[in-house]
Amino acid sequence: MVLQATGLVKHYGSHVALSGLDLHVDAGEVFCLLGANGAGKTTTIQLFLGFIQPTSGSARIKGLEVRDHALETKRFLAYIPENVMLYPNLTGIENLEYFTTLAGCADAGTDQLRETLKRAGLPADAVERPVGNYSKGMRQKVGIAMAIARRAQVLLLDEPTSGLDPKASNEFSQLVSSLREDGVAVLMATHDLFRSREVGTRIGIMKRGQLVAQLDAADVSHNDLERIYLEHMHD
Amino acid sequence: MTESTSPRSLVRTVAHKEVLEILRDGRLRLLGGIVVILALAGLAFGTQQTLRAEHAREHAQEQATEHWEDQGEKNPHVAAHYGTHAFAPTSVATAIDPGVSAYLGRSVKLEAHKRNLASHSAAQDSAGLSRLGAFSVSTVFLQLVPLLIVALGYGLWSRERERGTLRQLLSTGVDRGTLMWGKAIALFVVVACLLVPAALVIIGVLWWLGGGDGSTLVRLGMLGGGYVVYFGIFGALTLFASASAPSSRAALVAMIGAWGLFCLVTPRAATEIAGAVRPLQSRAELGRAVARSLENGTDGKQSRQVAVDAIATDMMAAQGFSDSGMLMDDAYSAGIELQAEAQWEDAVFDYHVRAVDDRIAAQEAFVAWAGFLSPFVAMRTLSAGLSGTDFAHHRHFTEYAETWRKALVAHLNDAFAENAGELGWDYQAGPELWKQAPPFEYVAPTAGFALRTHLTSALALLMWLAIALGMALWSARRVKVV
Repeated sequence: MVLQATGLVKHYGSHVALSGLDLHVDAGEVFCLLGANGAGKTTTIQLFLGFIQPTSGSARIKGLEVRDHALETKRFLAYIPENVMLYPNLTGIENLEYFTTLAGCADAGTDQLRETLKRAGLPADAVERPVGNYSKGMRQKVGIAMAIARRAQVLLLDEPTSGLDPKASNEFSQLVSSLREDGVAVLMATHDLFRSREVGTRIGIMKRGQLVAQLDAADVSHNDLERIYLEHMHD
Repeated sequence: MTESTSPRSLVRTVAHKEVLEILRDGRLRLLGGIVVILALAGLAFGTQQTLRAEHAREHAQEQATEHWEDQGEKNPHVAAHYGTHAFAPTSVATAIDPGVSAYLGRSVKLEAHKRNLASHSAAQDSAGLSRLGAFSVSTVFLQLVPLLIVALGYGLWSRERERGTLRQLLSTGVDRGTLMWGKAIALFVVVACLLVPAALVIIGVLWWLGGGDGSTLVRLGMLGGGYVVYFGIFGALTLFASASAPSSRAALVAMIGAWGLFCLVTPRAATEIAGAVRPLQSRAELGRAVARSLENGTDGKQSRQVAVDAIATDMMAAQGFSDSGMLMDDAYSAGIELQAEAQWEDAVFDYHVRAVDDRIAAQEAFVAWAGFLSPFVAMRTLSAGLSGTDFAHHRHFTEYAETWRKALVAHLNDAFAENAGELGWDYQAGPELWKQAPPFEYVAPTAGFALRTHLTSALALLMWLAIALGMALWSARRVKVV
């Protein structure tokens, strides 16, 4: 078990963001979290990142409690938010070198990182350009390149395909699938039912801070998934 | 852990990236260019004023010596009345920081019976409007460079948070302290890249002005060290504001507010309070107090004549005369009386001038303590001290001049007593005696004197640096990601 949440609770004052969440993600698995806005998807990811502290319960990465091992647990993971934000005055390769060095992967040379950007699907002529004029899809690809370069064992994705055009979204899904095949454990929060069934191995539906359903992606059709999701949303 | 991922290496990586960002965003060229041009303009003005002041001093000193030696034949005591002038040396560091030198007199009239205060200050000799344009290298370093640091550094944390790179950054597992030191070093390197060439130009110009001696270099080295600490304080405070404020705009506003408080409000308030707590006599009041003391003693209970007679009796007894009428010619007796009068007057003048100087020193000490409330006040005080343009250096000079005046008057009165004989007051001495006057060889105090005098300010600066770095580190560890 690479990622594990046990009885995870998060309160913001009187608002309950997470209410006893239990989930786990194994190596080579993509767990997609579906849910409406405010269901607790982003809160779950931020708890695994250690950006916020749980009110109670436990979030573990490779057996280490995130709260107690904030820096060590980050060595295993890569994080791709809805908008991968980079330094606009630095080039794509400079951004990648910077983030991978800080993540402790300074052994990758510049040529190797260029190859990584290419594998992530970034056009060759964009590598040396400042990222200030990159499209969102190009920035997301740099984010994927960071995960590849860091040889991350855990990938936390927070609505990574939101706002991407279908082609870019499809390319992104293929990259995630490729990482899954390499044994990476992926936790992806998304609104996109189609992508979650396409890329996910398991799908969880969240509502009011709880996981109300868990499905094997292979066992449900797109229509079934949509029906089940809507049923839970209308309860 | 490999060498490339050691904490020190990661700090370098962060610093390198921050420097690249600052260099590429265009602010540096504009702001840095303005600051460097202003610093060099300040140096040009300071150099021109220093050269003019030094030229005027040399000319005046030559004239004073010439007038003294060419005054013709006259009675030595009359020559003591005629007197001469001493001129304070101009430190080349005045070109960097004129301190309070513009408001203190540059020359002292040295004559018998009277201790004159220094006069002919630059401010006194200038048109009133010229005070409005007072501008020097220290103005740029003390007031404008902190603003440059704020302008370059206010967004180092807050912009990361606003554009979302902070989450990306912290998801790498990098330590926040590493990020803080990297950002601090980047800010330091960028400011150094601007100021080091300017500082080299300044040192070159001072060398050309004749400040290439070891003492000046030590002073400049200490001054440079002081300014590094001072800029470090503003850099660390800017990082603290950037990490703590809810937005970049709030960080900028907070730091401009802090700058105003440190550089404008506190110095003015400290000076006003010091003036109120330790008020100074006006020159007219001082003159009246001295006149009263000359007649009735500093305690108001002694008659001048009785006191002078007592001193004269003691002096004669010391020389083996038990009575002023015994075995003594009139001229010798007059010489002794003149010496006795001089002693009485010296005691009165020393008492009053020391009281005034002590008051000014107490005011300065009060302001120096305000350095614990404002790093600007601490650095301004230290800068003037290391440039030799503060009150302590002025007092050092005037006290030497007074010691020399007493020696000159004693030399002339002794000559009168020993040589006048039967001629008495008709005795006249010539250029040979004038040339035998003790040489006026004033040596300015060392850098150690300046540092000892302003130890409070140096400690205040170090305290500020420790606090500011502590605040910057504390805020970095608590910077909010979401």
